Amino acid sequence: MRVIFNFSSSLLIKVVVLCLILPGAVWAAAVPGQKAPEFSVMDAAGNSHSLSDYAGQWLVIEWFNKDCPYVRKHYGSGNMQSLQKKYTEQKVNWLTVISSAQGKQGYLDPAQAIDVAESHNLGASVPFLLDTSGVMGRAYGAKTTPHMFIINPQGEVVYAGAIDDNDSANPAVIKTSHNYVSAALDASLKGLAVPKATSRAYGCSVKY
Amino acid sequence: MKIKTILINVSCLLLLAAGQSVAQEMASGDHVQVRWLVPDTFHEGKEERVGFYFEVDPGWHVYWRNAGDSGAAPRFNLVPKGAALGPIEWPFPMRLRVEHLTNLGYSGNVAYLFQLLPDKNTREITISADLEWLVCKVDCVPGFATMSFTRPVEAQAAWPDADLSVRNYFANRLPRKGSESPWQPVSISPRGSDYLVLQLTAMNDGEIPAVFPINGELFSAAEPEIQHQDGSLLYSFKRLPGAGVGNISDFVVADSSRSWKINAPFLSEMAGKESTTSVWLLFLVAFIGGALLNLMPCVFPVLSIKLFGLINGGTSPAHRLRESFLYSAGILLTFLALGLVLLLLRWGGLAVGWGFQLQSPVVVLVLIILFWLMALSFSGFFEFGHRLMGIAGSNSRGSFITGVLAVFVAAPCTGPFMGAALGAAIVIPPLQALLIFLGLGLGLAAPFILICASPALLNRMPAPGPWMEKLRQFLAFPLYATVIWLLWVLGHLAGDSGWLIGLSLLLITTLAIWLGKSFATKGVIGGLICVVAASLISLPVIRVEDSERSSGMVNNWHSYDKTLLAEALENGQSVFIDYTAAWCITCQVNKTLVLDTPEVQALFRENNVLLIRADWTRYDPEITQALQALGRSSVPVYAWYPAGEKKPELLPPLLQESLIAALFSSQLTVNSEDD
Repeated sequence: MRVIFNFSSSLLIKVVVLCLILPGAVWAAAVPGQKAPEFSVMDAAGNSHSLSDYAGQWLVIEWFNKDCPYVRKHYGSGNMQSLQKKYTEQKVNWLTVISSAQGKQGYLDPAQAIDVAESHNLGASVPFLLDTSGVMGRAYGAKTTPHMFIINPQGEVVYAGAIDDNDSANPAVIKTSHNYVSAALDASLKGLAVPKATSRAYGCSVKY
Repeated sequence: MKIKTILINVSCLLLLAAGQSVAQEMASGDHVQVRWLVPDTFHEGKEERVGFYFEVDPGWHVYWRNAGDSGAAPRFNLVPKGAALGPIEWPFPMRLRVEHLTNLGYSGNVAYLFQLLPDKNTREITISADLEWLVCKVDCVPGFATMSFTRPVEAQAAWPDADLSVRNYFANRLPRKGSESPWQPVSISPRGSDYLVLQLTAMNDGEIPAVFPINGELFSAAEPEIQHQDGSLLYSFKRLPGAGVGNISDFVVADSSRSWKINAPFLSEMAGKESTTSVWLLFLVAFIGGALLNLMPCVFPVLSIKLFGLINGGTSPAHRLRESFLYSAGILLTFLALGLVLLLLRWGGLAVGWGFQLQSPVVVLVLIILFWLMALSFSGFFEFGHRLMGIAGSNSRGSFITGVLAVFVAAPCTGPFMGAALGAAIVIPPLQALLIFLGLGLGLAAPFILICASPALLNRMPAPGPWMEKLRQFLAFPLYATVIWLLWVLGHLAGDSGWLIGLSLLLITTLAIWLGKSFATKGVIGGLICVVAASLISLPVIRVEDSERSSGMVNNWHSYDKTLLAEALENGQSVFIDYTAAWCITCQVNKTLVLDTPEVQALFRENNVLLIRADWTRYDPEITQALQALGRSSVPVYAWYPAGEKKPELLPPLLQESLIAALFSSQLTVNSEDD
């Protein structure tokens, strides 16, 4: 047993509880442990969606670009759709966002987006959100496709980052990869702490 | 030799003709061609560095091990036959701005290398590789390939000239050992919750190296903001939102052609953690630290004098409350002013710490005269209280000035709790840092306000009477003692001339008072002229002596020397560092009662501890930085490196012999468990 102790640390631990009640600062990106940024974006069917529409509910937000090899990895293999199906069945809302600007890779107009949703067998709660201006993507700090965010019913971000721990573009690795999103959702739906709340999102850059 | 070359050439031609094998020696994908960089023959039993050469179309890029904001590092799955392989080695990258993101990689051709050691008695080596890569401009294209080669093992290695020079060029760009780096890491510490600051020692020629974080889960790849700070370089890396501080803090430091892999110790102390948890917590700690300061020998006399002065005056509750608020205002404004000065100095690139005001001989000189005046006044030599400054009286300016004074005299007595809070004040954003200073001030003021505001508490204080006059006269003596101590500090700062100038000014001050008392108005004017003249002459003369640290040893203690410390740690020797200053009373108490006693010295000797005394009496950037790396900005700090440990434990600011003894008894237990 070490006899040395830092004089301040024991007290620190005691008062830390007090301080946890105090709210943290609000940031321009979606940061785990903090309130999710507001957004208001139209989907391909012409309906508007904002964060407040999902108050009191679980929400997953996913960034999408149909021409990105990493998106193809997870859609071509059916991995993303099976996640969407599994969790929307558990009353989790799932929004898939396209932030590609007009003229950039991945941009879709509403009619094309409806087609792509169909051809991709998209299992999100609504057809793609079309964030052509990039306002929502930038508010969330979405860097790559796919970039995943999980928001709890209190409107706080519980996970931000990659879909899994393998940044290979090869769909064959999905089987042996550890899926961060399902791990985070499974834990938090049971009221448990998220094992890993943040990771480096891999993939293609979002084409703002 | 020639025959062999011809044979090889012929066999190559045959291979080319075969087509199939050639396809295995090269691979191509969109915008990139990959081929082996290997010798024609390997040298028996000798390690060889080989690799893959990626030839990339102009404008396109491939990635480093940490790809940055997007993208992915290439993957190599290698299966050797007849050789053992080392891990993939990555030449240092460059930052590639791709629209709103930053990637780490190579714009143009690059070789990914690895070491190959032929097995004993093997005649042939075959390596097959599964490759995956990503090549990007703005859009990205992944590539996959299988490649292999077979080469004979001979008495000598033979390289195609062109390939050897490509190999050598990139091998030169591989990170070397951190210990050889011209830029050495000091620490990595959080700045607010958004940034992590890496501190490197700067080289003299002022070259600023590029620094690449290996951990992409914690550091953003974006170009860090770089500041020069007095002998060091500060790299502020943006932190990935919400990423917890892990322990992986490896970086690659690169000049234009070479690179080194360094590992910076995370600021182990609480300064880091606190600033990420909550500034309110720090505020609370600062408040408690400030409150405890009231009990310190530096502050207690000043405070008690003021308090008794108030009781003496038979004052009304409302008046007392007003006084206490003025006193608090004095404290708070002084703390804020000092905090602002500290932050401004830092912002200007100067490494300073708490207590910096006592590193200035002018401030010390002013304090000497102030305490001298107070002491004379308490002794009854003249009425100083009501008329001039009202230190012991009850007029408003007096209360305010007592507050100002309390802060100044408190600095030497940095108490428990203050260390952590002040340490954190360095690394967190300015406004939050000021909040910490405010916390300290409020803590210092709180007991006084409480006593003044509460009649119940006040009633418990002894009733006013003639005894107060005696007490006041008695309290003059601690003040005289303070003057002696401050003169000693001045002596440390400015050498012998410090003593001479200090004492001469005291003489002139006393003469001035006598003149003022004896010759009414004319005398006052004469006195003032004396003091002003003396000050004008002495202030420019007095300056900090040559700030070179004396090197060598004083009673078993080595003076602070980074190399000495690094050597001892490298050799696994235990080290005890005493960060101290002449103006720090707590330090002197610990030194006399614990550290320099024969018993403790014997303990240190028996356990072969390297003793280092880092004297911070004068401004010293190296010691300031060392303190900063420990998350502290004030003394005393006692850093203990147990044998074989490279990270210190910080001991409490109030030492006891038993505590030092415990360092070794616990070490013994650990050792016996190891056996």
